[in-house]
Parts: sequence; C-alpha cells; structure tokens
Amino acid sequence: MEDQVVQNSKLAVSINMGQQNAGLSEDDTTDDDLFLLEDEEEIAPAVKDPLYKWNKAMFAFNDRFYFLLARPITKGYAGFVHEDLRTVINNFFLNISVPIRFVNSLLQFKMKSAGTELLRFGINSTIGVAGLRDVAKTEYGLKSSDEDLGQTLGKYQLGHGAYFILPLLGPSSIRDTVGLVGDLFLYPIGYIRPRFLSLGIYTYEEMNRLSFNPDDYEILKKAAFDPYISVRDAYFQNRKQKVEQ
Amino acid sequence: MKTLHVVLLMLLTLIVPMNIYAGTPTDTIKAHVDEVLNVLRASPDGSKRSDEAKKAEIRVIAGRMFDFTAMSKATLGNNWNKLDKDQRTEFIKLLKAMLENAYVSKILGYTDEKAVFIGERSLSPTRVEVQSTLMARNADIPMHYRVLKTEDTWKVYDVIIEGVSLVKNYRTQFRQILAKQTPSELLDVMRQKVGEI
Repeated sequence: MEDQVVQNSKLAVSINMGQQNAGLSEDDTTDDDLFLLEDEEEIAPAVKDPLYKWNKAMFAFNDRFYFLLARPITKGYAGFVHEDLRTVINNFFLNISVPIRFVNSLLQFKMKSAGTELLRFGINSTIGVAGLRDVAKTEYGLKSSDEDLGQTLGKYQLGHGAYFILPLLGPSSIRDTVGLVGDLFLYPIGYIRPRFLSLGIYTYEEMNRLSFNPDDYEILKKAAFDPYISVRDAYFQNRKQKVEQ
Repeated sequence: MKTLHVVLLMLLTLIVPMNIYAGTPTDTIKAHVDEVLNVLRASPDGSKRSDEAKKAEIRVIAGRMFDFTAMSKATLGNNWNKLDKDQRTEFIKLLKAMLENAYVSKILGYTDEKAVFIGERSLSPTRVEVQSTLMARNADIPMHYRVLKTEDTWKVYDVIIEGVSLVKNYRTQFRQILAKQTPSELLDVMRQKVGEI
C-alpha cells in the first residue's frame, strides 16, 4: 500500500515538475515526494457538510459560549481547586465510565481491551479507593482504551453521514451523535434522577476535564487561517484514527 | 597566526559534533525535545529567566528542528506551483510565524509532562515517522513527528497529535481558500492573521 502511494506520488511529482515554471531552480528538486502526500489524501472521500448553515451558526454560538462562559468559569474553578484534587475527580469519572469502554471493546471484538477495562475497574474500585486513584495505570501499567459507540459503528463500516456540531458539546457527526446517545445508556450518571441533577453532574465532569487544558481551543483557533474548517478537519482526522486503532 | 587558526579549527571540530545529531530519527527528535524541556526547567541556581527569554530559546531550537520549507510545500501540495518565488518565501515566513505564535506559549505551560518515545515507522526512503507519547497529568497524548532526511540530519515537516496531522489540517484550509482566491489574496489573509497575534 505504502509502495503504491510512493509510486503514485512519483508520477504526480513528475507531472508537477513538468508544469513548473522554468524559473524555479535550486531547492525545488530534492524532497518533492512531499507533493505526493496530496494523493495519499485524495483517496479519502471528501468531507460531507450538508448541514453547513446549522453548523456554522452552532460554531459561532459555541465559540461565544467558550470565551464568555466556559473558559472563565473553568479557570476560576481551577484557581480554586488544586490540580491534584481535579485529577482525583477525573479518575472517578473515568472509573464509572468503564461500562462504555468495556461494552464497545466487546462489540469490536477487542477482547484484550475489554479484559483490561474489567481488571482496571476491579483494581481501581478497591485498591484505588472507589476509583479516586488510577493505580491500575500507575502501579500495574494497565491503560484504559478510549472506545465509544461512534467508533464501534465506524468499525462496522458505517460512515459519519454528515458533520454535525452539537450545541455546547461541539463537533460531532450524525453517526457519532447516535453513538453518544447510545453510550448514555451505559453511563451511570445518565440514570440519575431528577434529570437536571444528571445533567448538572455531566456538565461538572466536562468542566473538570476542560480545566486541565482550558486554552487548547484558543490555541487551535489562533493557529488556524479558517477556524471552522480547521476544527472540522481535526475532528474527522481524530475520529478516523480512533476507529482504525 | 596560522597555528592559532589550526588550533581554533581543532577546537571547533571537538565542539561541533556534540551539537549535530546525525543519529537515528528518534535520537534526533529526542535530543531536540530534551533541549526544549531543559529550557522549560527552572535553572538549578534558582535564577529565573523571563518567559520572553525562554520563548526566544525555543524559537532557536525550532529553527533547527523543523524544515519550514518542506512543511510549507506539504501544506500547499499542488498549489505550491501557483506561487512565484517571492510568494513562496513569504509564505514560508508567515507559516513559521503563525506556528510559533500559536504554539510556543502552549509549550511554556508544560511543567511535569514527560515524552516517551515508542518507535518509528518508515514512510519512504527519505521519510520516517517518530512515534512518541506525551504523558500529561490527566491523559497520555500520542504525538508523532514526521521527519525528512536532509544532508546531515533529520528535520520535522509534520506533527501528528492524537491522529491530527498539522500539515493535512493546513492543506484542507489552504485548498479551500485557494479554490476561490488567488495566492496573493491567501498571503493577505495570512499576513492579517499573523499581525493579529
């Protein structure tokens, strides 16, 4: 596969070279197989964004929400609660979300990951004191595997359908939104009633997660010439890699 | 006078090899990453350098670590041919400024993170992917460097963080912009953006 790509790229390079104006000399001849990277990508289907208008509006809404509310509140919270405590809280939520990763590992026939998740749950719920410490990772080198229903559906060849930005939650796709809803049935927090309490805890979990890297979105935005396209592309690249893993 | 030159040359040959990393791609990247981590670490004598001084040092390391020309070519793909020589020079300069502005402050925020190198994968006779994991407080972040063989060392032309290739991400943006606009308009967009930050 790799060989074929290289072959193709050489072909493309020779075509490119033919088109190039004769004025450019020097450094333009050597590492031209970089042009070939282009072909590697051309094989992938183009991104589907039929909901562009909705997405664009949601992008603007989430952007404002992040800068005006989410980030300042999170930063205030982080200044108030020490990082050690936030890590403990993060571990707790990671531990109770074991069912999501366990079931999705099973659905993808990743027996080793499924076993690791069970083992991690056993160790962290006991020695790790109700999941507050991730001793399975620190002491036994058992790492959690990031699996969710969206990835499982992807594994079964289901495409994204369309890019779909969710209010507050951010970039997603039709497939991954279905996955998100499905995973909710495997998440204990989803069963808490009244519903607003369940939603409140979920929001808190997200804020705690954000508190470790509150500026990442701003950096991404700073580094982008077109933030909307940059975020969309990053979302699909990231999900593709997770499905392939 | 001549003997002095000879002595100086000999001294130079003794010193210089320590700064050139002609080893494996992983050794090369690891050396650069260690250099950056050293800049971030507080000096042992307790003296504090300003963030600006650290940023300047990181920029110097980045200049040696990255091949911004190759990176620019890769981000433009076939569109590279639409730029004339002056436009290419400016494009490289702007892309470099953009990356530095956006990421150097993020790097300054790293404190107890550790980089673990897990392997490398050959992409072509001249290109290799160096795979590493950045162990942060709440998560392990896969970070892969794609390097290109140059005359005496390996230089980074793409960084892939959690499966997201920087080069591919920029290529998608540039392709979209160049579908409707001319290269000189693209440079306007870039100039404006770099000026903002």
